[in-house]
Amino acid sequence: MTEYSHPEILVETDWVKQNLGKPGIKLVEVDVDTKAYDAGHIPGAVGFNWQSQLQDQVRRDIISKQEFEKLLSDAGVSPSDSVILYGDNNNWFASYAFWLFKMYGHKDVRLMNGGRVKWLNEADKELTTERPKIAPTQYRAGEPDTSLRVLLPEVLKVQAEKRHNLVDVRSPDEFTGKVIAPPGMTETAQRGGHIPGAKSIPWSTAANADGTFKSADELRKIYLEDKGVDPKKDTIAYCRIGERSSHTWVVLKYLLGLTNVKNYDGSWTEYGSVVGAPIEK
Amino acid sequence: MDNKARVYENIFEMMPSEENPTPLVRINRLNSQAGFPLYAKLEWMNPFGSVKDRAAWALLRDLEERGELRNGRGLVEPTSGNTGISLAAMARAHGYRLLAIVPNKVPHEKKVMLKIAGADLEIVSDELCPAPGLGDGSINLAKTHAKASAHRYVMPNQYENEKNVEVHFKTTGPEIWTQTQGRITHLFTSLGTCGTVTGVGRFLREKNPKIKIIAVQPTEGHDVPGLRNVRQLEVSKLFDPSLIDDILEVDFNLAYTRALELCQNEGLFAGPSSGLILEGALQVAARDRSGFGVMIFPDNIFKYTSNMVKHIPELQPQDAKVIIP
Repeated sequence: MTEYSHPEILVETDWVKQNLGKPGIKLVEVDVDTKAYDAGHIPGAVGFNWQSQLQDQVRRDIISKQEFEKLLSDAGVSPSDSVILYGDNNNWFASYAFWLFKMYGHKDVRLMNGGRVKWLNEADKELTTERPKIAPTQYRAGEPDTSLRVLLPEVLKVQAEKRHNLVDVRSPDEFTGKVIAPPGMTETAQRGGHIPGAKSIPWSTAANADGTFKSADELRKIYLEDKGVDPKKDTIAYCRIGERSSHTWVVLKYLLGLTNVKNYDGSWTEYGSVVGAPIEK
Repeated sequence: MDNKARVYENIFEMMPSEENPTPLVRINRLNSQAGFPLYAKLEWMNPFGSVKDRAAWALLRDLEERGELRNGRGLVEPTSGNTGISLAAMARAHGYRLLAIVPNKVPHEKKVMLKIAGADLEIVSDELCPAPGLGDGSINLAKTHAKASAHRYVMPNQYENEKNVEVHFKTTGPEIWTQTQGRITHLFTSLGTCGTVTGVGRFLREKNPKIKIIAVQPTEGHDVPGLRNVRQLEVSKLFDPSLIDDILEVDFNLAYTRALELCQNEGLFAGPSSGLILEGALQVAARDRSGFGVMIFPDNIFKYTSNMVKHIPELQPQDAKVIIP
């Protein structure tokens, strides 16, 4: 049985329980909205709202370095802290935050394996509605590491060259263009389908029924053997708005240890709306 | 209480039992198979309007008996509507409050009904991209409240509570057996929490192991409130596949058209889940030709007018145009 390439980026729920309240460890719950956090969170955890706090509220982009610094200062996080992220929807939004923390160079950021659902369903784990008392910090971030992110011009170039692994993590119906977005979603594209040459590997392929990541051997078999992701090539993961693909980005880069993996956060809502962009159905 | 005179000291005395069953009504014009009569069990004749009265009452009584509702503690429950409506009305009549966690896709009428029944509402957005085994947002949010605010809320949990099965074993099952004088050969029901199918199924199998238990489910991507496709069933701990002979998958659009046919041809104001079950039963009757079917019709049409218009646009009334000269 092989290990994950970077097992240090994951912590288990039991580890979190044993380390509650320890100095230097900061828990952050990241949800699509903070209703779940408000109803109950892990004692000591602060809550980030993916919609309003992790994205620029004017243009479509990640938050700026200054906004990231303010967010972390207000949350009482120091650059030397171990930040443990967890959240709803099987850690999608926590994975997006993980990617953002890595972009801005936070040294020690980890995901709680299984997210809030796993914690919720374990009888010995507590939840509270009490908000933690925060001592604000003066957090300073690095310049964003752009090697972790891919923007549209590069995606169009890569698509034409066909030298990359393109991993589409959306549902099979989104991949084939039967639907443009899951039912009820407001963010859509003008066209359905996928980037030519992309492999369909839905994000949930990487998860066990309890929300944890599958073992290194299972992941290796699924992604590298069965689906043919070539570890010698550079890889781009995309979905619809960039959060499900963050989950797969974590799998490919940190659990399987592929060397150059980028998250395309523009994803299908951008690509599927570009005039003239080649689409396969 | 006197079921014959139908005079009751409180609404709860009306709850169904073998002595006071919900009605069985035969399908006449829509079923052409003379050798396979189909009877609908009209669960909307329950005092709060749906099959969920049975589970809600059992869950509430159980919490009261176990002393879980003392000191101002209320209930929290994930619900697509009917359980919430029954539970809220019952809880309020006993002096408790209910916080209902409701998925966004629940029809507008049901959300309003929940408020009329006295529930506090928390509406959660639909699942973004469901993965097997992870449960619904509404179930997880209800569990979160019950865990983080245990002094304020207790969660009956219709998806896991055996009382939801037991009540159907003790009431719905015996009612059907007595009402059909043991002639039933096929039971047709839908799958939601699976309390009905498991409880009734267990009872009928004990009486006659040859009775076929047929579950009818909508195709994936459906919007029939309260129902689950088998691939969504992992959330229900009450699902017992060993009891089920056949799971029929029916195009969910037929739920709405069949419901309309029931209204317009049988005088049965049945809701979409009943329409779906009728379609499944008609398919089996046409195939097997001989039998005696009972269909559980969970609720009536009144809470689904907006869904009906969505699926059958001709139902949209054309209001008179106001012409301003």
